[in-house]
Amino acid sequence: MNDGLVKILDGNTFVVSDERGDIEASLTDPTGLFSFDTRFLSRWILTVNGERLNPLSVDDLQYFETRFFLVPGTGTVYIDAKLSVIRQRAVSTGFHEELTILNHADKAVSLDVRIDAGCDFADLFEVKDALKKKGRYSAKAERRKLTLGYERGPFARATEISASAPARYDDGGLTFKVRIPAHGEWTTHVDVVTARLGAGQAPFERQDPARVLTRMRRNLERWLDDAPRVECDWDQLKATYRRSLVDLAALRFSPPIAGGRSLPAAGLPWFMTMFGRDSIFTSLQALPFTSELAATTLRALGDWQGVRVDDFRDEDPGRILHEMRYGEMTAFEERPHSPYYGSVDATPLYVVLLDEYERWTGDRALVRELEVEARAALRWIDEYADLQGTGYIWYQRRNEETGLENQCWKDSWDSISFRDGSLPGFPRATCELQGYAYDAKVRGARLAREIWKDPELADRLERDAADLKRRFNRDYWVDDDQYFALALDPDGRQVDALGSNNGHLLWSGIVDKSKAKAVARHLLGPRLFSGWGVRTLASGEARYNPIGYHTGTVWPYDNSFIAWGLRRYGFKDEAAEIAAGILDAAEFFDGRLPEAFGGYPRSQTKYPVQYPTACSPQAWSTGTPLLLLRTMLGLEPYGEHLVVDPALPQDIGHLELLDIPGRWGRMDAFGRGRVDVRG
Amino acid sequence: MAKAADPTAAFFEELATRTDEPLLRKATGATQLEIVDGRTVRRWVIEVDKGRISVRKGSGAATCLIRADKAVFDKVATGKLNAVAAVLRGDLAVDGDWRLLVRLQRLFPSPPRRRGRS
Repeated sequence: MNDGLVKILDGNTFVVSDERGDIEASLTDPTGLFSFDTRFLSRWILTVNGERLNPLSVDDLQYFETRFFLVPGTGTVYIDAKLSVIRQRAVSTGFHEELTILNHADKAVSLDVRIDAGCDFADLFEVKDALKKKGRYSAKAERRKLTLGYERGPFARATEISASAPARYDDGGLTFKVRIPAHGEWTTHVDVVTARLGAGQAPFERQDPARVLTRMRRNLERWLDDAPRVECDWDQLKATYRRSLVDLAALRFSPPIAGGRSLPAAGLPWFMTMFGRDSIFTSLQALPFTSELAATTLRALGDWQGVRVDDFRDEDPGRILHEMRYGEMTAFEERPHSPYYGSVDATPLYVVLLDEYERWTGDRALVRELEVEARAALRWIDEYADLQGTGYIWYQRRNEETGLENQCWKDSWDSISFRDGSLPGFPRATCELQGYAYDAKVRGARLAREIWKDPELADRLERDAADLKRRFNRDYWVDDDQYFALALDPDGRQVDALGSNNGHLLWSGIVDKSKAKAVARHLLGPRLFSGWGVRTLASGEARYNPIGYHTGTVWPYDNSFIAWGLRRYGFKDEAAEIAAGILDAAEFFDGRLPEAFGGYPRSQTKYPVQYPTACSPQAWSTGTPLLLLRTMLGLEPYGEHLVVDPALPQDIGHLELLDIPGRWGRMDAFGRGRVDVRG
Repeated sequence: MAKAADPTAAFFEELATRTDEPLLRKATGATQLEIVDGRTVRRWVIEVDKGRISVRKGSGAATCLIRADKAVFDKVATGKLNAVAAVLRGDLAVDGDWRLLVRLQRLFPSPPRRRGRS
């Protein structure tokens, strides 16, 4: 989190700079101004009389604006500073920077104020993979502006830089000749505007930065005002909750077709786009707090639902997208993300979200509006996902060059392994996918019966679900150690390592009641539970590594769904124990849970060791405290009512969640800590 | 579809024979297409009313304008070029209602298979 980088954003436009506000991007690092997956500024360096500046402090005003206090000189000693420089920056269509220089001396000064500007127009994929560009660059300095451009055939992107004060523009930036009287100041406004997406459009879209800023401030206030309030004895929980709300606001993303409505993007900086899986999971976590994200996610993913068989994009009819991108490599089909469909969980989870959304909001109109999409998703499970003809969801990419090998949430190469560490071949049928399919069928049956008025479909889905559950509990159950295998391999053998996936199975409801206790015991047992949370892979497995991405780290999001699963089967205390561990960990990250942290035993490290990753905040980590509030309070819509059944960790003391929105209007929930957790 | 001499014309002719298209049941609106063939511009209007499609040659009021070279549109109409990628690239120019474009791209055929399904 404290990586020395300062980030501000609005939707998929964001600026990442150092603590001086400067940008000096190399091909491989993610600093710069980005919009629609393209870097529009890779060099932005402020000097005064040829000298770089030194940061005194950074004020993170909001997620979309920040202020840098600077003094000339790059050394550590600046006691004699006669000048202060204030850079205030806000994201707009590009960004807007107010540059102010204060002269503290009792005589006038003459200064050369220079901003070096440049751009490599890298696609985010190129930044990630350090690839070379194929097009042509241009720079055009005029009297009042500098335009940086990039063209590759019809593909054109440009950045326009202009300032309110007179300046001399050249191909590499702009220079102000400034004279500031004794104890006086000088100010200019600098605008960096990115070319708009889409050909045939006016190349630059100008918006008044002040109005953009006002709109964003009001929007954030309204977002915070609309959210339920948390009152509790534990101040840190209140702080974590607020952090989550603000970060979730920041991660809202309005795709070009959503009519201004927003859904959760997956994370900053690499994942500011629509992801099927991440958008769905985050919307589920946030449902008791806001239903807008879920509604937009369902509509937008429905708009882009697969309609054809396309091997390059791993697309099938009915399949829900994995990831959408707008950059150059996607445009030239060097990457399949227009959109790419290579995930197998997003499609059943789409139906799960639609049902859960209706249970909270009572919005039957949307369920009717999306009937075609939901039916197509349910059909996809049976007709396209069962690659082996065994009645399970399998995955194997058809795009072998740039497609994803692992199409479940644990998408790293070594995440699915046997106890002895060997890896199964493809196709693979990981266990949680079968749980999601089961849940989709059960929930789809309810929607079919109650809203689409199709009892025949409802009956069939229920029969299929019951059959799936019976087979699953037979085929995946590792009898000697009493848990569910990670996956089946192409020969139908159990991939028998123990992983956190078992918790998702509880959440889906596919687990036989008679087996649930053993599963819960494993989840809270020493091999999986670190004291902070449930590890992705159990210690003792050959591939276990406390800092292995999906082979031993603890993922907060994973744990929030595990806690939900435990509650579903009545394990209230166990769910509270997980909530306590994860919320304790949040305290060490100032309320902003990382994507993952080390699986070291809590007794050994005393603090959670962050997994080194560049992605923060990340949407489903941000949504984690929200879902944990739900599981601790035992919130469950039941008909037109909200049922509250709290089971709180003792240390929390008194907890109130006020104004919970739903089909009941607004309701309050109260609880008092009584569960004694180990910690 | 067999390889037509004029894939763009064949696409619109075939489209005109469809009356109800379930994939467009949520779309309503008119799209003007301008296909540039050398010095001539050929125009079609696709009107969609909750899945009912009507196609006619010429110009008309539209909320979405799509413009492309015929060489580009020939590829899109035969599934060889993905319409969304073509838009991102600048090969297909779109002005107006993006949502309508997202619907209409469903009408274009699947690309040729890379290999048999395993």
